[in-house]
Amino acid sequence: MEQAWIAGKPATLDSAVAAAAKLLAASRQPLIAGLGTDVAGARAAIALAERTGAIIDHMNSDAVLRGLDVMRSSGVMLTTPSEAYARADTLLLAGEIFGAGEIGSTKRLFDQLARRQGQHGTARRVYWLCPGGELAKRAPNEISLTFVGKQPRALPAVLAALRARVAGRPTTGAAASQKILDEAATGLQAAQFGVAIWSPQALDALTIEMLCGLISDLNATTRFCALPLTPGDNAIGVLQTCGWMTGMPMRTGLGRGFAEHDPWLFDSTRLVESGETDCVVWISAYRAQAPRWRGLPPTIALTGRDAGFRSRPRVHIAVGRPGVDHIAVEHVSLTGTLATVEATQPSGAISTAEAIRRICAALPGEPPC
Amino acid sequence: MLTRIANGRVIDPANNRDAVGDLWIRDGRIIEVPPGDRPDATYDATGKIVMAGAIDIHSHIAGWNVNTARLLLPEYHRAAAPRPIATPLSKAGWSTFETGCRYAEMGFTTVVEPAVSPHYALHAHLELADVPIIDKAILVILGNDDYLLRLLQANESDAAISDYVAWTLEMSRSLGVKVVNAGGAAAFKENVRAFSFDDVVPSYGVSSRRIVKALQHAVTALGVPHPLHVHCNNLGLAGNFETALTTIAAAEDLPLHLAHLQFYGYGKEGDRGFSSAAAPLAAAVNAANTVTADVGQVMFGQTVTISSDVLRQFNARKQASPRKWVILDSDANGAGIVPYDYRRNNFYNAVQWAVGLELFLLIEDPRRVFFTTDHPNGAPFTAYPEIFALLMSRERRAQWLAELPPEALAVTTLPAITREYSLGEIATMTRAAPGRLLGLRDRGHLGAGAVADVAVYEDDADRAKMFRAAALVFKDGELVVRDGRVTQHRWGRALTVRPERDAAIDRRMKAYYEDRYGLSDDFVKVPEHVLGRPDPFERVPCVS
Repeated sequence: MEQAWIAGKPATLDSAVAAAAKLLAASRQPLIAGLGTDVAGARAAIALAERTGAIIDHMNSDAVLRGLDVMRSSGVMLTTPSEAYARADTLLLAGEIFGAGEIGSTKRLFDQLARRQGQHGTARRVYWLCPGGELAKRAPNEISLTFVGKQPRALPAVLAALRARVAGRPTTGAAASQKILDEAATGLQAAQFGVAIWSPQALDALTIEMLCGLISDLNATTRFCALPLTPGDNAIGVLQTCGWMTGMPMRTGLGRGFAEHDPWLFDSTRLVESGETDCVVWISAYRAQAPRWRGLPPTIALTGRDAGFRSRPRVHIAVGRPGVDHIAVEHVSLTGTLATVEATQPSGAISTAEAIRRICAALPGEPPC
Repeated sequence: MLTRIANGRVIDPANNRDAVGDLWIRDGRIIEVPPGDRPDATYDATGKIVMAGAIDIHSHIAGWNVNTARLLLPEYHRAAAPRPIATPLSKAGWSTFETGCRYAEMGFTTVVEPAVSPHYALHAHLELADVPIIDKAILVILGNDDYLLRLLQANESDAAISDYVAWTLEMSRSLGVKVVNAGGAAAFKENVRAFSFDDVVPSYGVSSRRIVKALQHAVTALGVPHPLHVHCNNLGLAGNFETALTTIAAAEDLPLHLAHLQFYGYGKEGDRGFSSAAAPLAAAVNAANTVTADVGQVMFGQTVTISSDVLRQFNARKQASPRKWVILDSDANGAGIVPYDYRRNNFYNAVQWAVGLELFLLIEDPRRVFFTTDHPNGAPFTAYPEIFALLMSRERRAQWLAELPPEALAVTTLPAITREYSLGEIATMTRAAPGRLLGLRDRGHLGAGAVADVAVYEDDADRAKMFRAAALVFKDGELVVRDGRVTQHRWGRALTVRPERDAAIDRRMKAYYEDRYGLSDDFVKVPEHVLGRPDPFERVPCVS
């Protein structure tokens, strides 16, 4: 089966690698984007960025940086999925919970909560703020579930009112019924180990900051932690890898001989649409996802087959799916850690890391020491 | 490949050597003077000091906690906010690559990351795999984990505990075991806000003392060379020297290592109820032959505290500067990342600075006091050269003391201490002793057969300048630094121990993970082939 294409025509891997290296070598501002790959792929991609002075970004940076911005401007109290699973007696869900995987891991917590009900004789509760339409039905019946507010757009007001009630301050307005707000405020304060859950895709930074503030307030008298759900395509694994290799998260440029991070300047969509980049390495090893930007920069694609590009990439190498075609280390949402994922359908498909290593080796000049 | 380092002053206290002479290296190892052979390369060390590569036993350089600190503090990176060169973290080496290079440039060749929770071991090893040049190791943290607390609660046998410790060491690929505020993180999850040595974790009814003693016995019984590495309770609190004294007394006749003792050297004397208690603490260490300690020296400037002592960090979050922090109730242990600015004109910070130096100078045996800043908690590791200079010169100390708040000086004994470290004592404290403490028989010295990790320094009267930039550094016999600059990149290894255990523990752990977390225990493993470096590990033998 074909593995590589140049301008849409089947090519050998070696010639595709050589064509990719030539494009990169001629580029004045390369961009490595998408970055949907395992830790090995990210390590190779960042090393390539260092070599070529490229900018690095991930397809889910928006969601990652929303949470990160709250952390790095005020702070956050976190827990892990495992500790939540083993210990939580109260869950606070905020807004819509997106994504099948996320609903799955949330349901796992619900189920565990239900299983442990009565073990310590205390009530196990779930409060769900502004869940939106269908999602609220997903909670199992066995646990006490309280909805506070309905529509996701009301979440900031409901959250502010709830935080005020937890602090013992009066609230006005009709964000949610006073009775339910008070019930929730009392319930959260009665938690022995509460866990707040949200999808970073669904909330803006100010709402996340308000949630983190509420959690901090609750810890004055009891224990409560945040467990933000994680965006897909190994966004958190790539974040961690960027962190240790550059000191910075994604949306970091390496063009000036050191890492500089700027969430606006190095946003890949902005870079493409403004024409500031003249060569893109687009990586989507998990899903064969094509980029969504408006613009057709010369592209080296490292994705699965059939990624549905709007225009043919100059070079396309079909890479294996991490944890499917080859063993991978990635951020695993069930454990909240970097973990090894064995290949479920081992194949000879080249890994992202290996493809990038070959491109790196084909670049002109000596690798830096 | 035969290399000769010619005519330097070789200071090698482990082999009682302090004399001008040659050092010979063949294929990565130190050898005796070879009869008649001509060296392939000769480096002139005339007038220079030749020591083994230095070993740092306690420096937070990798793992989730460290990486979270990076992500919490983008402004520390020079690109985000250009900083004056004199600001410590402008030189700290924030990425893994910088970490390896900055350490090597100072002549350090082995560094231990001392605080990795078992579930984050793979993460830590991936980071260490990207730390160039130096060798490294992790200590795995136990003592707040449900499994161990359950074993103790059920009065399980010493053998059961040892098997579990051995299993954890192997899964996490660690060199030793650390315990952090034993039981404190577990108690904090049950809303306990203060936790001392004889307090009990509520749900388990197990005291901190019992946890420490059980782990100390297990580590000793397994023959792990490095003694249990203890982060005591009550870190940072006035009057906490008594906690440290209690812990020292509990060591009894078995080895015990106390981490960053400076943070436990506080009394309650003086107008502000905060004073140095370094003198009684040093006296207790001097009297307890099986106890070793590292200092955790504070230096002034902006830094970030990175600790698995979640209870302490939670209580310290209001002192965060800048005002932001991360607290994690993690699997088993916890974590807290709290930025902090140690200021020279701050009474408390000045006392902390003095306490560290007092401990260095009052603990008599340089084989039992270890050189650390608890990087980056007391100061970034790039501050080491200045601390060497302070230890070696009472005049330099006097200059610093003159700039500190007089009320701080009034509650310490530092102004009265005249001791000055010799180069030999520095070599003992940073080479010979840590090699021995970690069970690294072929490191920390320059005898035949030792790994050819060698640092060559100019014999500069300015000791800070001398130790900041080694003239030459060899790693495994290969020249990696010249004139304080890395000239050659290579990848080091992570040092591990693998004590024997009963195979039944593997089945028990599998069942435990299914029951406790609803997960396979596979995710705690660190497979060698996913680290992406050839031969990423080196096994250190246990003591039989």
